[in-house]
Amino acid sequence: MNGQDLVSRMKRLSQVTDIKEVTQLSSAIFPGPHCPLMGAMMAVRGIKDSVLLVVGTDECTYYTKNTTISGSSFGGLDGRCLSVVLDSHDVTFGCREKLYRAFAELMEEYAPKAVFVVTTCVVEVIGDDVDSMAQQLGEQYGIPVMAVHTEHFKTENHLPGVQDTITACFAMMRPQPVGQTVNVIGQRLGDFTTTELYRVLQQAGVPMGMMLPSGTTVAEIERAAAARVNLVVNPIGLPLAKKMQRAFGTPYVLFDKYIDPARIYRLYAQLFGYLQLPLPAEVEDLYRQACRAVAGASAHLAGVTYIYGNTPVECFELNAFMVKLGMRPLLIQTSAIPGEEDPARQTILKQCDPYVTKTANIAPLQYVYDVLQPHLYLGHEYAERLRKKKIEIAHTDVLSPMLGLEVTIAGVQQLIDASTAARQLREGRAAV
Amino acid sequence: MSLCRYLPVPSDRMAVMWTLLTVGDAVVLEYGPAGTTHYCVSLFGAMGISPDQSLFTTHMSEDDVIMGDVRRLEEAIVELDKGYRPKVIFVIASAVTAVIGTDLVGVCNYMQQQVDARLIALENGGFKGDYTVGLRQVYRLLVKQLAGQKQGLLPGRYNVLGASASSYRIRSDLREIEDLLSRSFGLSRHTALGVDTSLQQLAAMGGAQLNIVLRAEALPAAEWLKQQFGTPYVYGVPYGYQGTEQWLEQIASVLGRPAARSVRDQLGQRQSQAATFRMYATMYRNRPHPPAAAIIGDYDLLQGLAGLCRELDICPDLLICPHTLRDITDCDPIVRHFATEKEQITALRQLQYHLVFGDDVSLHLCDRTNTGLCVSFPLVSHVQIAEHLPLMGIRGTDYILETIDRYYQVLE
Repeated sequence: MNGQDLVSRMKRLSQVTDIKEVTQLSSAIFPGPHCPLMGAMMAVRGIKDSVLLVVGTDECTYYTKNTTISGSSFGGLDGRCLSVVLDSHDVTFGCREKLYRAFAELMEEYAPKAVFVVTTCVVEVIGDDVDSMAQQLGEQYGIPVMAVHTEHFKTENHLPGVQDTITACFAMMRPQPVGQTVNVIGQRLGDFTTTELYRVLQQAGVPMGMMLPSGTTVAEIERAAAARVNLVVNPIGLPLAKKMQRAFGTPYVLFDKYIDPARIYRLYAQLFGYLQLPLPAEVEDLYRQACRAVAGASAHLAGVTYIYGNTPVECFELNAFMVKLGMRPLLIQTSAIPGEEDPARQTILKQCDPYVTKTANIAPLQYVYDVLQPHLYLGHEYAERLRKKKIEIAHTDVLSPMLGLEVTIAGVQQLIDASTAARQLREGRAAV
Repeated sequence: MSLCRYLPVPSDRMAVMWTLLTVGDAVVLEYGPAGTTHYCVSLFGAMGISPDQSLFTTHMSEDDVIMGDVRRLEEAIVELDKGYRPKVIFVIASAVTAVIGTDLVGVCNYMQQQVDARLIALENGGFKGDYTVGLRQVYRLLVKQLAGQKQGLLPGRYNVLGASASSYRIRSDLREIEDLLSRSFGLSRHTALGVDTSLQQLAAMGGAQLNIVLRAEALPAAEWLKQQFGTPYVYGVPYGYQGTEQWLEQIASVLGRPAARSVRDQLGQRQSQAATFRMYATMYRNRPHPPAAAIIGDYDLLQGLAGLCRELDICPDLLICPHTLRDITDCDPIVRHFATEKEQITALRQLQYHLVFGDDVSLHLCDRTNTGLCVSFPLVSHVQIAEHLPLMGIRGTDYILETIDRYYQVLE
């Protein structure tokens, strides 16, 4: 492929205000984004006593089950990821009969506390009314049965699947007297109990409530309205948090995986304000550490160019942060474009105007590297292949299990390490 | 089938994909939502197939689905043709495009004028049947569309038809076949359709002296090659020492000359050594648990391993075929294809003191009184890396005998 042609096809950040305006790097893509079915699977994985029932083709059900077998979250091979496999008869006449038969077997053998009936593209195309089936099955068996729609042709990636699954949990919640607990909503990577934020809350004596979807039970979801505040650690948790605020008056704080220390500090203050507790001294200490890390970073990072692929950190916030440190994005791959008023967007555009394209299409990117020649690639790629092109990978997966100021401290160090390695690579260090 | 607790039987579309991805110099373009493409990568990786730079998807939007807009597909075809210069682009349907009735053949027909690559459409959306339906279709399609004209004779060369990346240890088995045919007849392999081939090899395959057919699904392709080029074929799989000997005799009969003496002697010697196992079978026959085997896998594997068991006087009393038997001619009545997963689970859970040859899921369902060996996909508790551990031929039987020896050690 001609890299120059690919680059000329892309728009710049200043030219777009919505992801629909962003041109795909190529029409033929690989591997492409994950689908909402996978997102739904990721969400149900954390709800321990529930069952995931996928309704779809052999292929969709095969790959989903296959993904859940490794690890213990779903219970391995005998675990709680089940399916109803549709054939041409079901496509013609609907899946109702088969779904009901399968559900009876499911209840007899697994006795779950709740079931998520997850549709796939074909079910949505044929227009089966799975919502009414789920409602009827729930009434028949006396357990919560939630329909989650995961047609991929309506979404950019898998995140709507996570969002819709956790939002569907609202149906299980019941009014409760408010206590002192904090719910954690929207954590899709890592374990909240290993984060700085968890440690700070524990040391302040704040008990945890529902942690959806990182690890919870149906009983905890039912009691979720008892929380003093909802901690939303990813925007996918916002629809549920807003519903809970309307229904039960539970306030929420959007505490995403941010990297700007001032922002994180403000969120800590907001959270402890809702809890009516003083801000712990540890937060002040961590904030000072993070500020020192940032202050010393520019000397290492100024002038370093990069292509942004995918990281656990909020995309545009991280890019704005790096721009403030003197780094220069040449291309940002993203699945969402912030509006013109967004401060992160404005920060980036004050300094530069990077190309933007959609994520998960690494095949044609190989040809773009030769044209843009960045120092760094942030995200998942083949490291050896990149190093041959004198590009270093910044490993940001280490940030996945983090929340709080630890993201700043570790993130800055990762950027410094990768930038140092990139400079050495350009100066002739042998590819490792 | 109603509730599926484990892995469903792969569909025709999945088989079409994993077969076409093994054709070098060609690319595969899926017209459908991208998630399926991303999801399939791990399965293909387990089969030893790398889709990097050979598999692409268009993705689809809601507008494309509602309006039947195929511009995205047209652009992708042109782009792949210009950007990657493949000789062939296989354009494959998805479940969605199959349901909405996208005319892929029609699109490929009019787009053919705009590109250099040859466009071949496959409208499998996963609703035509299981993977054997897909294999049967794609083997036939590859030879009919790409075997081309006879370019010249390839004396001493043979093609393997019906090898599939979905057959456990197939690359090891191909090496064993290569070794056996080289030592027995001085033959060497031209191409292995379905695992390791290229467009150039396909184009020249009509010149081969012989076609070796490893599974029933490749018989229509073999028949077509016979009619088109006069290439004889031998259908059979070399499992067990006797089975391998008979297989070589079949080939010898077609070639009109016997297998090399050294190979026949080696097989005779091995059969003598295996007499110990027949003696064990006699000894255990009147004990509480007489030797018995259960086999789970593709039809030809079932037949081959059942033959191996009979060779050693072990009774294969449960043969389970996960795929449809509809297209099998003269199907062995002992072979069972369960209508529901539940029936199959029940049958496997009831097994006791059996030698079990099967896939990881089936072996998982058998209790500890049984002695198991993985011989087929799906793999869920281990990976396939080695390419020197066959199940077929002399080395394959040597290896399987080690499991049978273990079986007798625990049999009460």
